[in-house]
Amino acid sequence: MIATTRARRGRWISVAVFLALAVIWQILSMVYTVEAQPGEPMIAGWQILFTKTFLTLSDYWQGGLGVPTVADGAERSYLAALLSVLSHSADTIGRMALGLLLGGAVGLLLGLAVSWSRWTRRLFDWPLQFLRTLPLLAMVPLFQLWFGTYFLGEVLFVAYGIAVIVFAGAVNAVRNVPQIYIDNARSLGASRWTLYRTVILPAIFPAMRSTILLSLGAGWSAVLGAEYLGAQSGLGFIIVYAQQFAYLDRMFFIALLFILYTSISYWAIGRLSARLLAWAPPSQRR
Amino acid sequence: MNTRVDSRMIELVHVNRSFKRADGQTVKAVQDVSVVVEEGEFVCLVGPSGCGKSTLLQMVAGLLEPSDGGIAVAGKEISGPGRERGMVFQKDSVFPWMRVIDNVEYGLKCRGVAAAQRRDIARTYLARVGLAHVERAWPRELSGGMLKRVAIATVFANGGRVLLLDEPFGALDYVTRRQLQSVLLNLWDEGGSAARRTILFVTHDVDEALALADRILVFHSGRQVDDLAVTAERPRTVDSLLLPDMVAIKRKLLAHLGLEEGSAASRIAASHEAGV
Repeated sequence: MIATTRARRGRWISVAVFLALAVIWQILSMVYTVEAQPGEPMIAGWQILFTKTFLTLSDYWQGGLGVPTVADGAERSYLAALLSVLSHSADTIGRMALGLLLGGAVGLLLGLAVSWSRWTRRLFDWPLQFLRTLPLLAMVPLFQLWFGTYFLGEVLFVAYGIAVIVFAGAVNAVRNVPQIYIDNARSLGASRWTLYRTVILPAIFPAMRSTILLSLGAGWSAVLGAEYLGAQSGLGFIIVYAQQFAYLDRMFFIALLFILYTSISYWAIGRLSARLLAWAPPSQRR
Repeated sequence: MNTRVDSRMIELVHVNRSFKRADGQTVKAVQDVSVVVEEGEFVCLVGPSGCGKSTLLQMVAGLLEPSDGGIAVAGKEISGPGRERGMVFQKDSVFPWMRVIDNVEYGLKCRGVAAAQRRDIARTYLARVGLAHVERAWPRELSGGMLKRVAIATVFANGGRVLLLDEPFGALDYVTRRQLQSVLLNLWDEGGSAARRTILFVTHDVDEALALADRILVFHSGRQVDDLAVTAERPRTVDSLLLPDMVAIKRKLLAHLGLEEGSAASRIAASHEAGV
């Protein structure tokens, strides 16, 4: 009872903070009216962001569904703007999601492989520790030249960014599995394969949960960075074009979308993993 | 007691184990221990902390290799853990990510026993240890004593003929400890004396050893220093501990632990002081 009241109060505080930030932004837009170029305020108020700014996003609609593109001479329209936002978001989110799945799986498997046997340790540990130290964004051009700028290159780049973090987290988490669980499983007759499946994997899950939440941040940076540096679609692609023409309101609008998506991804993965951690004490589920 | 050769369940031959400490010094944890344990015997290993009794048990479990010497169980030299030897640890070993019943089934599942059959076996043993009502609970919802019951049910359900218990009740309160001692004895005796499993039980509690054991092996500084038969009848009561034989054994044990004069411990301590 007390807990739910407290949770409800906490939620109201969050809403209030959110509204306060929006109001402060609006006040700033009215006080600081400098323009980056004629008609492009440095700080765009909400009344501009949700009308003119949103409408201009139809410039990035790449056609299809019977809705003509601005490049082909069509008028800007809210429908084209909406489709534009949705399609570019879908590209970005798709790259992120696939990269997360692929990178998470590969990073986890390699992390487990390091403790599997002496041979796998020799094989994977040193090269991957080396790979981990390479600066992520410096690798973007390489990935794009190798795998292309539309889909594969972006997905693999995100996967790489996530895999190195998940790998390091998994190696560390396996090291911290209490020996007693391993001894217990072995003395009850578990094979190595069974041991990994039924003991190591669940035992590292609480630690991997925070690692995956950490890698989400890197994943979003990676997908944005990759799109920024040469993709032909996605939210990062819009930011590049908006930046070239100093359309600050469009960049801000896309940034808001990003904040929305990253927040949803954190919330969703947090909820999902908390459900899988029903066995753990509450402190590990938050 | 049965002395036929084929009734030997556990046989340790000149077993040694040394460790290298971080400072480079070698510590001899177990030195030249040779022991034969008959099938169905309940043997307690007693000694001051650091005497090597837990190391010895780990070696019989196959979790630790002897530096030298051999260990055979049921006539076969062991290499690594095996399901014929169940182990109950001092610390909580119950998997927190499995429900109680899944923990008890774990060993059976590893062996590929059919789901329905292993559930039956697990339920049987959970009932025997008095935990039938919590089979769907998470381990975090149980007390320390209940977790020990789960661990005991797990090793019994797994059907090993040898059970190794490493100070299993050391961290429990007096009442819980007494309850679990009788739980263990009842399970040990479940099929009558002919079907008894062989138990090695490490403890530092002299009264616990007297209440449980057929035989008490005393260790000191890695060596076996005594082998005492406990002949008092079962079930043993508070009064059993007052029998003259029991008092004599207890006196010997206390002496070995350095709590009375004339003990190995006090002799060794004295020799250390003399600089030998």
